[in-house]
Amino acid sequence: MKVIAAGNSFCGDDGVGAAVLDAIRERNILPGVDLVDVQTDALALVELLEPQEPAIVVDAARMGAAPGSVAVLRPDEESLGLRGDHLSLHGLGLPEALALARRLGRLPARLVVIGVEPGRLDLGGGLSEAVRAAVPQVVDIIAAEVGAHG
Amino acid sequence: MSRNLDINVRHLTRVEGHGDIVVNMRDGVLEKAELDIVEAPRYFEALLKGRSFHEAAIITSRICGICSLGHQITSLKATEQALGLEVSEQTVLLRKLLIHGATLQSNVLHAYFLAAPDFLGKGSVFPLVASHPEVVTRALRMKRLANDSGDLVSGRAVHPITPVPGGFTRIPTAAELASLRTRLVEQMVPDFLATIETMKSLAGAIPDFSRPTEYISLRAADEYALYDGDICSTDTGCVPDTEYRRMTNEFVVAHSTSKHCRVNRSSYMVGALARWNNNHDKLCPTALEAAAELGLKPGCTNPYLNTIAQVVEAGHCALEAVAIIDRLLGDGLKAEAPNQEPTRFGTGVGATEVPRGILYHEYTYDRQGRIARANCIIPTGQNLANIDDDMKKLVPEVIAEPQEAITLKLEMLVRAYDPCISCSVHLLDVTFKGQES
Repeated sequence: MKVIAAGNSFCGDDGVGAAVLDAIRERNILPGVDLVDVQTDALALVELLEPQEPAIVVDAARMGAAPGSVAVLRPDEESLGLRGDHLSLHGLGLPEALALARRLGRLPARLVVIGVEPGRLDLGGGLSEAVRAAVPQVVDIIAAEVGAHG
Repeated sequence: MSRNLDINVRHLTRVEGHGDIVVNMRDGVLEKAELDIVEAPRYFEALLKGRSFHEAAIITSRICGICSLGHQITSLKATEQALGLEVSEQTVLLRKLLIHGATLQSNVLHAYFLAAPDFLGKGSVFPLVASHPEVVTRALRMKRLANDSGDLVSGRAVHPITPVPGGFTRIPTAAELASLRTRLVEQMVPDFLATIETMKSLAGAIPDFSRPTEYISLRAADEYALYDGDICSTDTGCVPDTEYRRMTNEFVVAHSTSKHCRVNRSSYMVGALARWNNNHDKLCPTALEAAAELGLKPGCTNPYLNTIAQVVEAGHCALEAVAIIDRLLGDGLKAEAPNQEPTRFGTGVGATEVPRGILYHEYTYDRQGRIARANCIIPTGQNLANIDDDMKKLVPEVIAEPQEAITLKLEMLVRAYDPCISCSVHLLDVTFKGQES
């Protein structure tokens, strides 16, 4: 089982994934689960995914909801449609990375994407209050997913 | 031929950052051919003022998520020179291992994911997955191993942690290095040989274009220079890195938020092709064989072949990494505390060959060990004037071709330089409204 954070910690709430990993480490829960921060390297994410290993990916997601809103997505063929994403280097975003993994036969049978609506994405400054407040909720969702798996 | 041409590619894709290609021709006369850099400046040099020597490399590695290692190493070298901090041979070897891994990683990423789709007439890497899944998987495997090498030595491939002024806070174990060596020999080398075959099959799609320019890279007496060396120009020879200001001559242009550079001509080129032209004699035999296979010759003046030079260099980096590990293991790894006792407070210059060309950092420290003045000159910024000059020669040569073909050649040209616009400031959108008059 892997929990993978994606996003740029230096761009405000895009660092929510990294903050979630930090919270998991601080609470010292989920022993035996790989915690990996790929930051903005979408290709590293593709390489980390393996069909047989369940994975949870945490990233900021613009969903048109209130900042700090959390959505649990289980990507299927349809929801993996390509779309632009300027959060990532070289124009490769999370949807593209997952689509690439699927086409390479690397997409885990059990994949959960947890999206958190960002409030701010400007350089520096760290997480907004709303997103910071959502971190424990995301950790709980991950703990429940890991528990359900094994 | 009398022709009007307006190309405006806004935010070019498959480059790092935001830039626009703008070409205007009126009645057959080229009025404008330039790469407009439209990103906001980032003021890193001002950010560094007042910061302690412990912080400089941590801050400057954030200039870029792709070249973070290069910025970090260059920053450490500038700080160490300014403060008179000597580093051990082991530290230099570990840093060289990092630089070779980072160059390998970046070159593979560019050749396979950013440049290769053009050679196949595709808009992105996605169609390649359907037609050549084993090639994409190989590229990812190579990139992963190069990243793992960075993780092992620096603690983290992006924004490394363990390299600090005067040395390392942690070094890998002999067993970890031996394991990395095995993976390089058993996985990376065969993957590199397969890469040559792949690139050979694509090389026919590289445009035939030539424009001699000045090529500038580091050069060292005893090795293919990446970590250190004198600044070497194909026009005027070598000078020490402390002469970097007169080997860059930054100046401001209206169409770019990144400064341009020139030395002996109106522009010069840095990067893998410049390194090839200056230092091909220092490459390992496997890399030289790859160059011969791929048709890369000394004195190359086709900027599109920068991608091929990157591929050749990737092979050298893989084998040199093996040689560096052998030296480290042969000498025996020693636990060393970083040397962080300044012997002076002055000015220091760091010059490193990072994937896109020479990177310079210069810092002046006050007596409290805080930065009083900082200057960073980034490879992509040095290449911008050369890209403009290439476009000015290319457009009249291909003007008879359909507008879409011209646009593609311009995009491929800019991509060949593997520009990192966020570093230099960000890159490219092209829009095209060509009409026969």
